[in-house]
Amino acid sequence: MDVVFDSVSKSYGPITALKEISFEIKKGDFVFVVGASGSGKSTLIKLILRQVKLSTGRIIVGGSDYLKLKSFHNIDKLRRKIGVIFQDFQLISDLTIEENIALGLDIVNFDPHLIPSNIDVVLKKVKLSNRRFLFPSQLSGGELQRACLARALSIDPELILADEPTGNLDSVNAWNLIKLLKDINEKQGTTIIMTTHHLDFVKSLEKNVITLSKGS
Amino acid sequence: MKTFTRTWRHIRRSPIQNLMASFTLSISFLVITLFIFLNTGLTALLNNFETKPEITIFLKDGLDKATLESVQKELGTFPDIKEIRFISKEKALTIYKELNKNNPLLTEMVTSSILPASFEVSAYNPKVLEVIAQSFAAKSTIVDEIIYQKDIIQSLLIWTDIVRKTGVISISLLSFIAFIMVFVIIGLKITNRKDEINISRLLGASAFYVKKPFLLEGIFHGIVGAITGFSFSLGLFLYLKPILNRFFDPVIFVRPDPGYYLFWLSSEILLGLLVGLFASWTVSRRYIKW
Repeated sequence: MDVVFDSVSKSYGPITALKEISFEIKKGDFVFVVGASGSGKSTLIKLILRQVKLSTGRIIVGGSDYLKLKSFHNIDKLRRKIGVIFQDFQLISDLTIEENIALGLDIVNFDPHLIPSNIDVVLKKVKLSNRRFLFPSQLSGGELQRACLARALSIDPELILADEPTGNLDSVNAWNLIKLLKDINEKQGTTIIMTTHHLDFVKSLEKNVITLSKGS
Repeated sequence: MKTFTRTWRHIRRSPIQNLMASFTLSISFLVITLFIFLNTGLTALLNNFETKPEITIFLKDGLDKATLESVQKELGTFPDIKEIRFISKEKALTIYKELNKNNPLLTEMVTSSILPASFEVSAYNPKVLEVIAQSFAAKSTIVDEIIYQKDIIQSLLIWTDIVRKTGVISISLLSFIAFIMVFVIIGLKITNRKDEINISRLLGASAFYVKKPFLLEGIFHGIVGAITGFSFSLGLFLYLKPILNRFFDPVIFVRPDPGYYLFWLSSEILLGLLVGLFASWTVSRRYIKW
């Protein structure tokens, strides 16, 4: 899934979060978005997810022009192709990890008979098989991040948006996650956009980088 | 995750709120059912009187045999007369004693002399009774009092009308209360589950997908309320059945046919379903817009 930003600006009242941003991410790319806190990294992710509306400019994701996406129905369909690793996890507190993943699969109309086996696979991939029946409150920060990743991976997305996914992980787990994302990108051709402020990952992977500074 | 599973999870996670909603709806349906059963009984009573037109002419004391015969003869001249029965003072006493056999206090002081003799006239056409009533009302030397079923029917009609109107108002009011209750409870739940709704929407869930469990929950409360309220009402009526049917004999005030009860149970379940669905649909439309 390709992503195109054409002179995109986003303001929250008098505060400009992003200003005249333009870039093009091709299908199968792995792109880092780097920048200091408050530089607009999360806003960029929210714009792609259509969590917030752009103020000016044009965004095209997977061939869909956001300015022409009039109904929520089309936005929902687009979101079902995107796996998101949220900075604040966004896991439902009264569902177990397994149920959280199952919910995501149910939303994308995944075959109900295949849901359990799919959950097995993704939990094994993120090394959380022994935590599947626990609730989010019973997991550490790192485990929550991996549960969030498992949910994103389970739907076999065309695009993965990872908003500071290594923020709560120790260096070993952070590297494991980066390697996993790299693996998915290379083997499945999934487009990955990852925000981070860990420049050592960026340098070692030698991928495309979008650098944001005060919204520009 | 199936919608029913999600709905059941919502219900399980807030038992007190759900109990409140189902309880309020049960009370509403209990009262609604009582009105329906009462109306059915009164209608049966009314029909009984309407289909058996009768007039009773109470006579003054001390009338001689010739006068009685002339009255009977005159009554026989009216058209569409089915039966003319003369109830003497002695027979009136026998009837009185039979009616009050369980209460000796009411019978021991009564003699035939204080009870009036009477003619009971039944007709094929109720209109003739009105003519008889008008004709004999003028004969004040012979007639003591005329009890014409029209009066009973009139008062029964008034009572039935009152019950029906009160019923309609109560049903409307109680349905509205049930609606508000479901509206408030589901509204609270939507507010409590705002995070879950937001997360689901970000994962690509449609607005209808996130609304579905709340709609089903409204329907659940409606159906549970209808079944519970109906069951309690039916239980009460069946408990009172011997007393009511004996009191209104020969009218069957509490009907014995299961079809009648099944019809009303189905109707109330449908009403509960609609109230629950409409309330939850309205509130979810109001709170889940995005």
